[in-house]
Amino acid sequence: MTNAEARVPLLRIVSLTKRFGGFTALDNVSVDIPPGERFGLIGPNGSGKTTLINCISGAFRTEPGTVLFRDEDITPLQPHVRTRRGIARSFQIPRPFRSMTVAENLMVALDFAAHEHVSVAQRRDTMMSILTQMGLASKANASATKLSQVELRKMELARAMATHPKLLISDEAMAGLSSSEVDEVLDLLMSLASQDITIIMIEHIMQAVMRFSDRVMCLDAGKIIAIGTPSEVMANQRVQEAYLGT
Amino acid sequence: MDLLLDAVVIGVLLGCFYAAVSIGLSVSFGLLDVPHVAHPAFLVLAAYLVFFINEHYGIDPLVAGLIITPLFFVFGLAAYRLYYETFERRGSDAGVRGIAFFFGVAFIIEVLIILQFGVDQRSVTAAYIGKSWRIGDMRIPYRMLVAFGVAMALTLLLTLYLSKTYMGRAIRAVAQDQEALRLMGANPIRVKQWAFGIATAVLGLAGALLIIVAPIDPTLDRAYIGRTFCVVVMAGLGSMSGTLVAAVILGVAESIVLTMFGASWAPAIAFAMLLGVLAVRPQGLFGRRS
Repeated sequence: MTNAEARVPLLRIVSLTKRFGGFTALDNVSVDIPPGERFGLIGPNGSGKTTLINCISGAFRTEPGTVLFRDEDITPLQPHVRTRRGIARSFQIPRPFRSMTVAENLMVALDFAAHEHVSVAQRRDTMMSILTQMGLASKANASATKLSQVELRKMELARAMATHPKLLISDEAMAGLSSSEVDEVLDLLMSLASQDITIIMIEHIMQAVMRFSDRVMCLDAGKIIAIGTPSEVMANQRVQEAYLGT
Repeated sequence: MDLLLDAVVIGVLLGCFYAAVSIGLSVSFGLLDVPHVAHPAFLVLAAYLVFFINEHYGIDPLVAGLIITPLFFVFGLAAYRLYYETFERRGSDAGVRGIAFFFGVAFIIEVLIILQFGVDQRSVTAAYIGKSWRIGDMRIPYRMLVAFGVAMALTLLLTLYLSKTYMGRAIRAVAQDQEALRLMGANPIRVKQWAFGIATAVLGLAGALLIIVAPIDPTLDRAYIGRTFCVVVMAGLGSMSGTLVAAVILGVAESIVLTMFGASWAPAIAFAMLLGVLAVRPQGLFGRRS
């Protein structure tokens, strides 16, 4: 960690503010995320977690504030351009292309996010190796509508991986899963992190966040109320108050 | 009984013709959700261009249709870009205002056609127009067989295009979840523009069929708004093979009603079926949305 912090941050968020009418969803948020970090993002419902990742992935315009990715100001870039730069995200509620097979779902990502021209055969190889890693190889030709909840979550991650991300934002990939399924997805994320992919994980399952993260940030009402190692953040009184609502 | 059999056979061929003129709308409205009420006007415009090429250069109408196909592709790209910049990107009621936009476009096309070609009916000449194939007592006009062949080819080509090519996959993806596609690194607007270009390009051949099957006049598009939308909605938005099946059902229904109850009822069939489908099975026969 200390080594990583010394390097240039992969993602740098500077004074980010996002308002919806009179409501301030994010209030002057600044944070640096070094490459290779496993970063946990927590906070009560409505605290601005999803707004923050929408600002990173480009779904929302920010005003004012700057998002720097690998030293480049990506604030004016559209979401699909940010994806090509190496920012991927999975959705809280899986959004597969339902008329397609699992393989086709991944191929869409491989078709468009490939950084250099690669042949169809190579794309297919990449697709199969991602599916194998995700434990979905046997489902390659199944329709996306036939997958179980945990398989859908894995496919969301697989699709995100197919865009060759340097930063993967996982938005509650484990919500609603059984504890053994949570472990499965957590192991997957761990193995992705070990492949030099920086991961921001949003999660309500506190145990999972604590096990996963190098560093945790807690948002409340659009402000950072704590940032540090998992144990530091858990011990923080404001975090406890935010969660217990006192 | 013979009369009924006749009506069914002609109806199937008529249905194939309807499929060919509707399949572009199946992409633009069915997959892209663009309220493209000017689709039939584009179709009639294509038919007039085919007429022009046929009359001036003596080129076969189908070949003329192929000649204007790339022109219509570019026309489609431009039309979508104009629609997107002026309407679609401006918010949630774009659908309603989009209908107004396309109605306007349809009327402008009608007027331009009248200014250029007048209000008289126009037709083309080709070896297969006006002749029939006799089987027993039945006579099948060759022009309807041409419609059958072209419809089959268009349906097959579009189905293959959407399932086998990377752009086809992206078009199916944009139909389902534009934002998810964006996160795959594709620009959904570009994908939709391309798809709209394809939807317009197939009107080249469809327009040729329109004038091969019967003479045309500038306001013919109005008769096809009901038919094409009926076919696309009945098919289940965005299904190519569904479009063929739905069009054949419409063709057979129209043909039987025409034979049994007379011509004045036939035009009402499309709207009646459209309302029936919306009431009973709003997702269509092969609906994409569950």
